Amino acid sequence: MASLSEPVISVTRLSKVYRSGFRMKRIQALTDISLEVERGEIFGFLGPNGAGKTTFIKVLMGLTEPTTGGALVFGRPPRDAAAKARLGFLPESPYFYDHLTAREFLSLATRLSAVPKSEAAGRITGLLRLLRMEIAADVQMRGFSRGMLQRMGIAQALVADPELVVLDEPMGGLDPIGRKEFRDIIVDLRDRGKTVFFSTHILSDVEMICDRVGIVIEGRMAEVGRLSEILTGEVESVEVTVRGVTGKTQKILERVSRHTIKSGDELLLTVKSEEEVEKIMAICREVGGIRVVGIVPHRPTLEDYFMAHVAQAGRKP
Amino acid sequence: MIERVSGIALNTFRESIRDKVLVTLIVFAVLVMGSARVIQPLALGEEAKIVKDLGLSAITLFCVLISILVGGRIVYREVEKRTIYIILAKPVRRWEFILGKYLGLMAVLVVSLAVMTAAFYAILLVLGVGAPLYLMLAVLMTLFQLAILTAVAVQFSTFSTPITGAVFTFAVYFVGHLLRDLKLLAAMNPSPVVKVVSYILYYALPNLGNFNIRPEVVYGAPLDPLALLFSGLYALVYTATLLLISTLIFNRKEF
Repeated sequence: MASLSEPVISVTRLSKVYRSGFRMKRIQALTDISLEVERGEIFGFLGPNGAGKTTFIKVLMGLTEPTTGGALVFGRPPRDAAAKARLGFLPESPYFYDHLTAREFLSLATRLSAVPKSEAAGRITGLLRLLRMEIAADVQMRGFSRGMLQRMGIAQALVADPELVVLDEPMGGLDPIGRKEFRDIIVDLRDRGKTVFFSTHILSDVEMICDRVGIVIEGRMAEVGRLSEILTGEVESVEVTVRGVTGKTQKILERVSRHTIKSGDELLLTVKSEEEVEKIMAICREVGGIRVVGIVPHRPTLEDYFMAHVAQAGRKP
Repeated sequence: MIERVSGIALNTFRESIRDKVLVTLIVFAVLVMGSARVIQPLALGEEAKIVKDLGLSAITLFCVLISILVGGRIVYREVEKRTIYIILAKPVRRWEFILGKYLGLMAVLVVSLAVMTAAFYAILLVLGVGAPLYLMLAVLMTLFQLAILTAVAVQFSTFSTPITGAVFTFAVYFVGHLLRDLKLLAAMNPSPVVKVVSYILYYALPNLGNFNIRPEVVYGAPLDPLALLFSGLYALVYTATLLLISTLIFNRKEF
């Protein structure tokens, strides 16, 4: 049993090279990634498509072996059954057994996860209720929509009440209501002391629920840290909306601001600092007849941060 | 361990039972056995033997087809559809997965054999040609043969596509019935290359000819109980070896 202070996931200098095609062309999927995920946190693993997120998760699940470096889950090699007994995994775009009903599939998952027989039926019913799948419980999964399959995916991942839940693009294929439900489930897992590691390229989900994020670009870890550290909260720009501006005043105001947009009798001015806001206010007071109707400070979002990293790496997401 | 292996076996069994291919093959087998009624007038006094021979041959042929067609894709399909990700992320060891898949398919074959044998005996009774219980010995030997053949199919399925796997499994089945001739060829042929290749094939491939006791049971020739027992043990050891090799291959596989 791993101690409470031991990282749930510990990855050291992990690299993965695939050989592809007849000429065994070398494809570097991951390069020198090190990472620790602590107990009880929601860790968001961010990256553009093809960045290596799924390969990294496959290594954690023991589905593929690292070329160099290593990964430990609960202090054990990923293929160790004792480590896998304590985790639940939802793969990307999961496909399940068409011929099974939702209940039969979850029953298989309980058998494979060593859930005691006395608890299995209750566990299955509870998960079907939580994921609003009761109505389809005894229907074969061949007719399920993408969203329903995603729900079954999370249900099978949670069936053993695992300490660690690893989700590869869990929001894929979900409508806004489904995404909200998934976020609630993830937050609830953390509240119950579980650790959640999930990959995504949907930044708003990460901003809303993650404690820490790792940004992977072209197989390299570009950044790891708490959101509060990455997004310092400093004001990057301020938008000031004024009404009743005439042509001459507009020119004066445009000289102060970095960017302006005229819409009807309103003028939207973007300035860099609070001092420049003061300058605009002073001009408005001096000229008279101009009203300031809105001041909105802008702080950098995770998207800005992410895009900056991607741009730095010389590619688009 | 038992819970996990039986869970995978049950899933494999359900998948095959709910597959149209299985039902179609069983229906065809029964139709072929029933066609004995048509050829009965041409049998010139040998109807009992012809009906029994045809029935037992149909049982073997269609079960071999099930073994090759279903077994050839049994592991490949899990990899292709990526359901393997779900299974191997649970505390399932890879050898448990291989054994579960194998046992699930064997359960399908046992049920198919039972259904076909029941239909065979029903046809024998309807045609009034006698339905002695010792014919079951031929069915039992078919089951031993299927145990080996399914292990061959599962092994190919761990690293090849279903079509390639089916072709090679069929080749093993075909050559496996000609091993005595192959040994003869090795003894008679002057070429050292032919000799070496023939002997390698003779000792490496399963001797499936040993499991064909159809002529003996149909024509009432005596059977050696020790030979039957030896065939059962041979099937067990050969199957276990193949499953072990399959596990070694599957253990090295990356997804």
